[in-house]
Amino acid sequence: MGDEVLSIDDLYVSVEGTEIIKGLSLTINIGEIHAIMGRNGAGKSTLANVIMGHPSYEITSGSVKFKGTPLEEMEVFERARAGMFLSFQYPSSIPGVQVGTFLRKSVSAVRGDTAPSARDFRKELKSHMEALSMDRSFLSRYVNDGFSGGEKKRLEILQMLLLNPTLALLDETDSGLDIDALRVVSDGINSVAPNAGCLLITHYQRLLEHVKPDFVHVMIDGRIVKTGDATLAGKLEAKGYDWLEA
Amino acid sequence: MMLYPEIPIPPRSEHLWRYTPWKRIHPTNVAEMPQSDAIKMALGTDSEMEGSEEIGRSFIHSISNVCKEIILSDESKELDLRCSGHICSGELKIKSSGDSSLIIRISGDSGWTGIRVLGDVSGQLSVALINDLSADCHLLRCEDWIVNRDSSLELSTLSTGGFLVKSDIRIKLDQNGAEVRGGIASNGHGSRHDDHHVEIDHKVGHTQSSLVMHAACNDSSHSVGTGLLSIRDGADKSDAGQVFRNLLLSEKARAEAIPELEVLADDVKAAHGAASAPIDSNQLHYLQSRGLSGDEASSLIVEGFLMDAFRDIKNQDVIASLRTRLLVHLECLING
Repeated sequence: MGDEVLSIDDLYVSVEGTEIIKGLSLTINIGEIHAIMGRNGAGKSTLANVIMGHPSYEITSGSVKFKGTPLEEMEVFERARAGMFLSFQYPSSIPGVQVGTFLRKSVSAVRGDTAPSARDFRKELKSHMEALSMDRSFLSRYVNDGFSGGEKKRLEILQMLLLNPTLALLDETDSGLDIDALRVVSDGINSVAPNAGCLLITHYQRLLEHVKPDFVHVMIDGRIVKTGDATLAGKLEAKGYDWLEA
Repeated sequence: MMLYPEIPIPPRSEHLWRYTPWKRIHPTNVAEMPQSDAIKMALGTDSEMEGSEEIGRSFIHSISNVCKEIILSDESKELDLRCSGHICSGELKIKSSGDSSLIIRISGDSGWTGIRVLGDVSGQLSVALINDLSADCHLLRCEDWIVNRDSSLELSTLSTGGFLVKSDIRIKLDQNGAEVRGGIASNGHGSRHDDHHVEIDHKVGHTQSSLVMHAACNDSSHSVGTGLLSIRDGADKSDAGQVFRNLLLSEKARAEAIPELEVLADDVKAAHGAASAPIDSNQLHYLQSRGLSGDEASSLIVEGFLMDAFRDIKNQDVIASLRTRLLVHLECLING
């Protein structure tokens, strides 16, 4: 624990004039797993999207820094190349672009001079795909086009493993996964976690049974209202969120 | 049969001639039948083709002095059509049986090219036409295909070359079990004008057709896609669909997409649709979040959009050729 990868200070974010995040602060260090839980509409996905620079979200006040660099100074692709990764809740499909081509281009872009040779890339890809129980036929399919919910999430995790980020944001990566897929995806997250800061956004405790968080934050109406250890997730599962609003 | 000079000039009120009138695609003055050089065809035996009372076909027939025939039987072939000279033209007959494929590449720097194709399909035939003409060439392409009983035609077009292109493609599904799957990818750049008109005629029942046209329109280019899907009286259990999509990449680019349906049978499935839109900002963001710059992301989306026109094409060798040519073309555009 130590090295700070993400530092959010008194952040306010609006979408089309509506304020969604209202004074949120959070620090994540390398090797830490943070989970953010909260009701629908609390602003969890907004937080992930604004960190990754989605153009629809506007920071109206406060700051977000990645390894000390203010994010407003970084284009989206620069954030990715610097080591940030978002596993999207609803990944876009890119019809006509084969998964294999997309992964190769992405790895080349993010890893730059340290990108593997074509042969080493294939080996690396094969190894990660086997770990995620993904068939090689995935590579010739079009990116997320006609994929089931589980297939999309596996592809997101495959990208995370290949890009090896230092900050991994995972937005409801557990939704739509059956028990076996949840275990496989969790193994993927756990393999990245020791060398990265991880922010898991989830509704359910079941992901946190496989990926043990160091911190659990509860988000209500755009703010973190409570922070605790992994036991807080169990308490939320049992009691809901009402007791935190009193 | 009327000869070219006797055929009246079609009015622009006709669907086929609305956006590229005959006088615009004719190489000189519409009354003239200029001298033409022969398209150099690397395959085929000498043959003859009948005239036509359709003005484009009649014109090409009148000025052409080459007609070749290619017979395919359970085989794959590639055909290079080299076009040079001020005006260049030719006719091509294709007859297929078994499981066959043909990749046709039109290239060269002629000022004007006219090509007429007559195809007769038995079995499964996958044809790709790659228009790789130089940037200032004009092209008139007229094709007529007949698909026979329990046979299928895959007809792919990658249209990236030429300054002014007019394609008139007509497919007849004459017998039960006939099927056609068409894909057209058009990349508009500079002031390029690319007009595709596709007529599919379901003459009898239990026939299937699908047509997808994707046009990416950049700079001040103009893409036109018009379709006429006819399902004749009694052609029950036919299944037909046409989709035209345009990706608008600049404010000056224009695109027309007009699929038309004429359904006279009762028990059929028929669908058509058209859409024009700029690049989806979520797609762009997704690719940028994976490290691709804005230009790299846009380029990949355009490449995918164009390749997606061939999503119904099953012949993977044909798909691979189309992809390779498209990548070369896009790279040439980027690198000037």
